[in-house]
Amino acid sequence: MSLFILVALPFLGALLPGLMNSAGRSACAGVTFTVSLTAFIGLLTNLPSVLAGEVVTARVDWMPVLGLNFTLMLDGLGFFFALLILGIGLLIIAYGRNYLSREDNMGQFFTYLLLFQGAMVGIVLSDNVLLLLIFWELTSLSSFLLIGYWKHLPEGRQGARMALTVTGMGGLAMIGGMLILGQIVGSYDLSVILQNRELIQADPLYLPALILILLGCFTKSAQFPFHFWLPHAMAAPTPVSAYLHSATMVKAGIFLMARMWPVLSGTPEWFVIVTTAGLVTMCIGAVIALFKHDLKALLAFSTVSHLGLITMLLGTGTAFGAMAAMFHILNHATFKAALFMSAGIIDHEAHTRDIRRLGGLRTLMPVTFVIATLAALSMAGIPLLNGFLSKEMMLEEANHTVLFNVPWLVPVLATVGSVFSAAYCFRLIGHTFFGPVRDDYPAKPHDPPAGLWMPPAILVVLVVVIGVAPFLAEPFVKLVTASVLGGEAEVPKAYFKIWHGLVPALYMSIIATVGGLILLMVFKPALRIWDGAPRPEAKVIFEAIVEAAATLAQKLILPLHNGAFSRYAAIGSVAIIGAGFHAWSTGQVGPATRTAQAADPVAIAGWGMLVAATVGLVFLHRNRLLSLILIGIVGLMVSIGFVFFSAPDLAMTQFTVEVVTIILLLLALNFLPKTTPVESSVLRRVRDVAVAVAGGVATFGIAYHFLLRDAVTTPISEFHLANSYKGGGGTNVVNVILVDFRGFDTYGEIIVLGIAALLIYALTQSLLGGPVRARLLNRKPDQPRAGDMHPMMMVVLTRVIMPVVMMVGFYIFLRGHNEPGGGFIAGLIVSIGVVMQYMASGFNWASARLHYPYHGVIGAGVLVAGLTGIGSWFVNKPFLTSDFTYVRIPPFEKFELATAALFDVGVFLAVVGAVMLSLESFSRLARRAHEPETEHPMDIDPSRDVEDAKGAV
Amino acid sequence: MISADLNIILPEILLAVFAMLGLLGAVYSSKDGLASPLLWATSAVFLAVAAWIGFTGEGVNIAFNGMFVDDAFSRFAKVAILVSAAAVLLMSEAYMSSRGILRFEYPVLVVLAVVGMMMMVSAGDLMALYMGLELQSLALYVVASLRRDSVKSTEAGLKYFVLGALSSGLLLYGASLVYGYAGTTLFSGIVQVAEEGVSLGLLFGLVFLMAGLAFKVSAVPFHMWTPDVYEGSPTPITAFFATAPKVAAMALFARVMHDAFGGAVADWQQIMALLSVLSMFLGAFAAIGQTNIKRLMAFSSIAHMGYALMGLAAGTVLGVQAMLVYMAIYVTMNVGTFAFILMMEKDGQPITDIGSLNMYAKREPTRALAMLVLLFSLAGVPPMLGFFGKLYVLRAAYEADLIWLAVAGVIASVIGAYYYLRIVFFMYFGEEPEEGLNGGKSVILSAMLLGSAAVMVFGIVNMFGVEGAAAMAAQTLVN
Repeated sequence: MSLFILVALPFLGALLPGLMNSAGRSACAGVTFTVSLTAFIGLLTNLPSVLAGEVVTARVDWMPVLGLNFTLMLDGLGFFFALLILGIGLLIIAYGRNYLSREDNMGQFFTYLLLFQGAMVGIVLSDNVLLLLIFWELTSLSSFLLIGYWKHLPEGRQGARMALTVTGMGGLAMIGGMLILGQIVGSYDLSVILQNRELIQADPLYLPALILILLGCFTKSAQFPFHFWLPHAMAAPTPVSAYLHSATMVKAGIFLMARMWPVLSGTPEWFVIVTTAGLVTMCIGAVIALFKHDLKALLAFSTVSHLGLITMLLGTGTAFGAMAAMFHILNHATFKAALFMSAGIIDHEAHTRDIRRLGGLRTLMPVTFVIATLAALSMAGIPLLNGFLSKEMMLEEANHTVLFNVPWLVPVLATVGSVFSAAYCFRLIGHTFFGPVRDDYPAKPHDPPAGLWMPPAILVVLVVVIGVAPFLAEPFVKLVTASVLGGEAEVPKAYFKIWHGLVPALYMSIIATVGGLILLMVFKPALRIWDGAPRPEAKVIFEAIVEAAATLAQKLILPLHNGAFSRYAAIGSVAIIGAGFHAWSTGQVGPATRTAQAADPVAIAGWGMLVAATVGLVFLHRNRLLSLILIGIVGLMVSIGFVFFSAPDLAMTQFTVEVVTIILLLLALNFLPKTTPVESSVLRRVRDVAVAVAGGVATFGIAYHFLLRDAVTTPISEFHLANSYKGGGGTNVVNVILVDFRGFDTYGEIIVLGIAALLIYALTQSLLGGPVRARLLNRKPDQPRAGDMHPMMMVVLTRVIMPVVMMVGFYIFLRGHNEPGGGFIAGLIVSIGVVMQYMASGFNWASARLHYPYHGVIGAGVLVAGLTGIGSWFVNKPFLTSDFTYVRIPPFEKFELATAALFDVGVFLAVVGAVMLSLESFSRLARRAHEPETEHPMDIDPSRDVEDAKGAV
Repeated sequence: MISADLNIILPEILLAVFAMLGLLGAVYSSKDGLASPLLWATSAVFLAVAAWIGFTGEGVNIAFNGMFVDDAFSRFAKVAILVSAAAVLLMSEAYMSSRGILRFEYPVLVVLAVVGMMMMVSAGDLMALYMGLELQSLALYVVASLRRDSVKSTEAGLKYFVLGALSSGLLLYGASLVYGYAGTTLFSGIVQVAEEGVSLGLLFGLVFLMAGLAFKVSAVPFHMWTPDVYEGSPTPITAFFATAPKVAAMALFARVMHDAFGGAVADWQQIMALLSVLSMFLGAFAAIGQTNIKRLMAFSSIAHMGYALMGLAAGTVLGVQAMLVYMAIYVTMNVGTFAFILMMEKDGQPITDIGSLNMYAKREPTRALAMLVLLFSLAGVPPMLGFFGKLYVLRAAYEADLIWLAVAGVIASVIGAYYYLRIVFFMYFGEEPEEGLNGGKSVILSAMLLGSAAVMVFGIVNMFGVEGAAAMAAQTLVN
């Protein structure tokens, strides 16, 4: 049968039991069994070619860019594992049919089981490491679903979580290892990787790859220090435990180590890591197993121990070790699955798995007794059963293994492990089946129907047959070993025999058996010592690590994101400074091409004021009025800076903008508290100062650096200087840029300005309509008002200079095209003239006299500017093309008429409208908020006094 | 000339006009009463434009003297943006109208944001870049605080705005330095200057540009806004943030790096790698301690951006292809995950606490299974599609000799897997809650959730052809 069909069969078949759920339990089990059986037979059809030493392959390209291809291969090793997976799978299906109760959803169970089976078959047949990874994680996923199948058991939760976390993370780590491996070799195909032993082992990345891959293997196969998850996963239904946690899934890690044996093994790193982990796991598992009272827990730890044994054998890196490992995998799969199923039978019939509550089942459940005893004795390593043979080989191998230069270490530990191993096997038999019959079983135990005992019985037959006639298994195991070795070493000549003569391994076996019996006799005191002795619980440690990680996250990382804006800004600023520093330190700094100008005392004084105002601002910023004044000074100094650098237009704009904004801000400040509350601690302010200073120094550094070097390209200003008069008819380049060269920008900008003003209007309008209105009306200023709100001097002065200001505005507007000035500045100047009236005479007085439709003024401005632009369409020019001409109307001198001036009118109107609309909006707020002011502009008004006097008279 | 240019940006113009008409129409009619039909219409228009761009777009078309580029790369990103935006809009309808925050501005703002994103991914010039970016960002600032009566929502919008403005300023600073030292704002011009060697001024410009863009993709250490904004915004908006804008920002990042600085990979590779590794680790670690699923998704998105940046850090065709594939998968996963989060409610109130998912599988086995698939995919566990995304970027990094980065990525994914699997654990094995989630019977949301999960499973066959499109897109960008 094609390998594709072989892999696909369980996956496709997985749909059937789920769909047939309503057809009945037997139908579900039947169809599942048929699917597995078909796959099993399909596998067997490939037996002849495997026996002939061929490697059956199948290949389809999947994602060639990633090196991921659907390539499968079947060699001796793959065949062996597939045989175990499908063969034991058949028995488990039969067993599961009888084991699950009526309430359980059988269709779902078998669907998950087949999914798992397919994933396992996929692992062992993959010829591409990435494909293998996919199947690998698929087993994690499907096993999670299987473990979670019995959701109602509370103790299952922890187990499922740990199983998922540990194996899932291990699998992810393995991705890294596989990627490195594939990159070293240049292919992700196993058949290619396995040919490149020297290349891989010589690569500097061999060790990281090895560690990452072993992480995956160790977590999957529950090797120390990841051994703790397996026993806790045993809350799953027994068929699942028997299948996943003893026969198949936990062997996936072992399988991978065997698969990679030709390329990864044989180095000191491999030897030390793998052998040590295996040895430690073997001993720890065996010791803990002895003191477990739950039958399944005992078996679980014994599984851990045996997996350790196999790992150790693979770790030695010798051909004999590999052969022993393969043989033990076969034997362990048979006796351990049988034992799990027996434990399940006892649980099923006696309703308990607690050894302390069992005993004397020998006479009540004779069939189960025979099955379990034979399997347990095999596990203990009693001759004439298969466990004995592979254990002998293990001890033989241990005798020749020297770890850490201590010759006795491995043999002694192996023997100790065997002693405990024998002890728990004897305890399993003795405490469950022997002893007096009790009368307090939760349920009356009796042998189950044949459907339950037949599957383990079949396995036990194998146990005995191989045990008695090992030569039957020999050719097969050697075939498998040959494919593990992959030509890197010769298959050992050793024969599989029961009697090897009086070799050291036999003595060690005898010690183990006798020692086991003695341990069982002193079990009660030993248990007391065990219970009393402090020991690290891996589960607790695992949870502590998880807890610590969560705490670390909560204590260290989450406080960074505590919502404090200043912290975010600080971190952002530090990162930006860091980025700048990186650029500075890695970039090539060329020599300075300009010399620094001599510092002018005036400039220094200005700079000093700027700095003083800024520093003062930092200290005085809580007083908002003061800080506003200081900001005004900063703006002023910047404007003077523009003057200093011969940019009068900019300076004028900046001046006027400064005035307008400061006044508007002052007005807005009316409605806000006068001081800012203290929120930050001294420590935080120190931090902020440090960040700010660093940022300032960095900015200064960049600016200084660039000022001393010529620009790389000619500045754009030259174009404008050359074309301003020629093309735009103006000698003021800035104004020509604004209204001509970049007229379109300006057009957009006045629209934006208008929108901003409208927005301010809309916002204040909605404020007045909403609940804020009541608050405004009832608002009490936090400081007493000044006595003389509208001083006479100021009122008079502003009124006197208002016509002058208007005139200046007009003048500035007119001269704009050729001299510093223009519509924008003129608009601001005119606005200032009006704003002063509001300031001096009060909102009521000013508003009563100034009620122009400012919306309309803005609109008119935009319209005028737009129409000017459209005008150029009539002469077939693009939008906003400007033109100019010179005219002479006596008695005036020749003067210029430019369409740009018309455009400037639009700008002027828009600016005036925008400023006035914002002002009007504030004034409306103010009029609502304050005590209704008098109509009078001045608190003290001589003329009013006169009128009052007249009235009195 | 101009009509040819306009023809190339016709999709963008169409959408902009649609937004304005929608706005006017709603203002002058029943206002919020029109929100729902407008939302449906917007989704339909998005999908139609996506189909139009996806099926008819061909070759490389350049408009406005190189300011706007329409090529396979931008089309790939645009289709992803439009489709994901349409999906998120559809998902948000029920949620928002039942909470009284379905305003007509919402679809209009989303359209404007999408126009900005389309501009971003097509930008061939620093000014076009900035224009698209700001159009997108301004719309996003507003939608973040769409729930005006909620302090958290307005705070989210304000923070996003101020930090966003900071980053925009930085970006402009960088852009002006680049202009000053390259003499042009056109990417095609900058790349020629940069090939001759990156001067200090250009390097500063590059670094600040990167910092500004890193903010937009929320890469560590410019990510600080993300958790607060994700948590504070209404959930559908969070879903939107987690999808289309991420694709746009990532694509823009790739475009700037390759179109403008393609000849100077060595100058930005290390920074990109650093951003990537920091994002992956911070995202993974910070999410461990989270109990709010929206915040968790924020950190998850930070981590995922780290992986996408890993593809960019490679600086190769494969790297860009990997990034695009990764983003496409990421967006699909997020649509499904947020559909699930939108369904998390109890008695009509949205719930964001992870603890409320205890034993969810018992009540809603199908949805729990779909979410399980999505979470495995987010964690990058094979055989879900998310794994292939990770594999792509890891491979790209590895082949670009960034081995340490690839290994770090693997380690971060191991850490990150924990918190995704924790949710799975809650759903399947958690303790029995007193009162579980109820409600959330939306057909659309369920369809999105199941559909997205199905894509994660069946997409592994051939990724629905995304791979080929991404390869083509990457080819046009990197040369």
